[in-house]
Amino acid sequence: MSFFPNTIYNKALSAVKGAFPGLIYVNKESKLHSMHPLVKLTMLLCFSISVFAVPSWLGGVILLGAVLVAYHLAGLGLAFFYRKLRFILIFGLFILIVQVLAVKDGLLIWQFSLGSLSLSVWSEGLLGGLCMMLRFVNIISSSYLFIATTDPNRLAYSLMQAGLPYRFGFMLITALRFIPVFQQELEQVKNAQMAKGIDMEGLSPRKLLRAVRYLFVPLVISALSKVDFLSNSMEGRAFGLYNERSYMYTQAWSKSDRIAVVLVPIAFLIFYLVLG
Amino acid sequence: MAEPVADINGLSFTYSGSGSPALENINLQIYPGQFLTVTGPSGCGKSTLALCLAGFIPHAYAGKMEGSVRIQGKNTRDYPAGGLSGIVGLVQQDPEAQLCTLTVCDEVAFGPENLCIPAEEIRERVYSSLKAVGALELIDRQVHTLSGGEKQRVAIASVLAMNPALLILDEPTANLDPSCTREVLETLNRLKENHDVAIIVIEHRLERLLPISDRFLLMENGKIAEESASSEPYKRYITSNHVLLNNEPEPQGKDTADYMKAAEGSPLLLVKNLKAGYEGRDVITDVSFCAFPGETIAVMGSNGSGKTTLLMALLGVLKQKEGIIFLHGKDIVKQKVTRRARDMGLTFQNPNHQIFENTVFKEAKMASRFLSDKNYAEIEFEVSQLLHEFDLQQYRDKNPFSLSLGEKKRLNLISVLAYSPRILILDEPIVGQDSGRLALLVNALQKHSEEGGITLMVCHEPDVVAACCQRVLFFSQGKLIIDAPVKGAWEILAQLGMNEYLPSTYETDMGGKVQR
Repeated sequence: MSFFPNTIYNKALSAVKGAFPGLIYVNKESKLHSMHPLVKLTMLLCFSISVFAVPSWLGGVILLGAVLVAYHLAGLGLAFFYRKLRFILIFGLFILIVQVLAVKDGLLIWQFSLGSLSLSVWSEGLLGGLCMMLRFVNIISSSYLFIATTDPNRLAYSLMQAGLPYRFGFMLITALRFIPVFQQELEQVKNAQMAKGIDMEGLSPRKLLRAVRYLFVPLVISALSKVDFLSNSMEGRAFGLYNERSYMYTQAWSKSDRIAVVLVPIAFLIFYLVLG
Repeated sequence: MAEPVADINGLSFTYSGSGSPALENINLQIYPGQFLTVTGPSGCGKSTLALCLAGFIPHAYAGKMEGSVRIQGKNTRDYPAGGLSGIVGLVQQDPEAQLCTLTVCDEVAFGPENLCIPAEEIRERVYSSLKAVGALELIDRQVHTLSGGEKQRVAIASVLAMNPALLILDEPTANLDPSCTREVLETLNRLKENHDVAIIVIEHRLERLLPISDRFLLMENGKIAEESASSEPYKRYITSNHVLLNNEPEPQGKDTADYMKAAEGSPLLLVKNLKAGYEGRDVITDVSFCAFPGETIAVMGSNGSGKTTLLMALLGVLKQKEGIIFLHGKDIVKQKVTRRARDMGLTFQNPNHQIFENTVFKEAKMASRFLSDKNYAEIEFEVSQLLHEFDLQQYRDKNPFSLSLGEKKRLNLISVLAYSPRILILDEPIVGQDSGRLALLVNALQKHSEEGGITLMVCHEPDVVAACCQRVLFFSQGKLIIDAPVKGAWEILAQLGMNEYLPSTYETDMGGKVQR
């Protein structure tokens, strides 16, 4: 909902959005989506350990291949991967270039000189840079895939049923519940500022400071007033009265979930032993 | 008689930091199956009473409590906050803030789950309590996609799922439009018929509860001022409200003839083929109307019908997609919002979103600082006068956030009136105002009208519209379906069967009074 593309809020907002494009759950029907959240969490954990445990660039390439296959299985595809992770890929490339230019070890692969300026690429720099870049891309893209395919509500309920104290689980759930509420309120505060003649176009530091103050005071107050209602509402329904709670729906483990949760760590272990 | 569900004996409560008691020597018994309505002016202690009954006082709120509250014989002092859940349930005003999970199903199951009830029984309870509030079809919906009325019904269901013996609702319709209000009231009616739960409803707008209540309680200054089993004294209370409004001199131009006469002049505000909305979604389309100097116009319609979008598009906060807006014969579409704001004073629905300063006085003069041509001393003088006029003088140096809802709304209005814009655009200005304060507001609007200003007012109270507006713009699904003088608008609404939008004094063609 951008009414004025040039207001400072929208500038800041689009900058943040640009850096973390659409870091949200994408509701789809796929094998990966229907998998039990804890199985996926286990897979993510094994994957992340492998990313750091396997020191070679070849391992990195294989893991990246696995992530791309998983993107495909999730029905998201390579176009989605590129669109959402463009920024990460560019940043990874930047890491590679810095490594290539900085490390001068191993075999000399390529040399270029122009007067006093000389550039040289050494094997250690190239392979080490590739390895770092792959690690970076692998970690972010796998975490992103986890978020895109896991309903956070289901994740929270699964974690609580697996033994996470329910207070922590509901911290996550209520936070998610109030994100759209506060987004809406932010919009309304912005509108109210304009109606009161507070001009938000332009970026002078004084105006910025004033705008931020006028933005946060009403938002914080509104959040605090909601907290009272919310805590009454939750305590009034016996939240925190007992240490345990029951659940209407158990997050079911399918047969393939049970097999996967055992096989996946073993597969990663073999992978590590072969390459490590 | 059976054991009372709730037994209050000599209850007094003073919030810490407050000089005077919020409740003073309350004695009250409530029996199973009773439907009790509690009313009284704002600040009379109604909500405090609800918090005491639900057991939140004395545990979650600091203060000094005397006397005792027993729920089914259990003293609330002996149970922690929430310890009586399952026996007494509280539904609060704000439908948004009392839902804590993401789906309707999880929300209704939340309470029973906390009580460690087996899954099978929870499922039965979720089903039966959603059925009781007529919201079974909502079971798979995401909470944030619900309307206000739906949220409130889900909130009621989620409390009902605890199987309480006493259900307390604190102004359950305060934030709802007439159709949502009707939804909630029908739900209450159904609960009363089908369950033997005792129900206490705290409500400002008493007239709607008259037919379903067994007992009435009028509170004033923390005391029970009157109690009776019949509605007679309360009819008096309501009538005095109406008399107050109806005693106002008839606003000029109320008759069609006068209206036509006014229309011969040139319009101050002209809107044609206006289309506005958000990315990828048009909320209002093809809206055309004009407004003449001195007119007070009500903007009505259910939530989501496009009223607020119209107001935003007029001020330019929301960029219109098509159409023209002329003010004083000048095209203002290209003008910046801050320029338009000089001519159009807008107050929003939620007062908390438009309070920015730390004292009432600073807040009241803030908008004038940006929008008025007058010098500083003049502004200060004017604002002081307005504070006096609107009964806020005593709070001059207090923090505006410590005011009550109604007081905040009056403060918002003052900050706009202070720079005297030609057009006032008010989104639900009368919420939270008791009858005395309502008169202040009506007077201010009348004064504005006499000075040749226009008021566009979103208002859900047909009685107030009847008393102070000359014209009604009625929106339905983004279209302006009625643009008529007040009386004409009532006739059309009656024909369309939208009785919840008609004033209580309106008689339909069928003869009898409007059935609510």
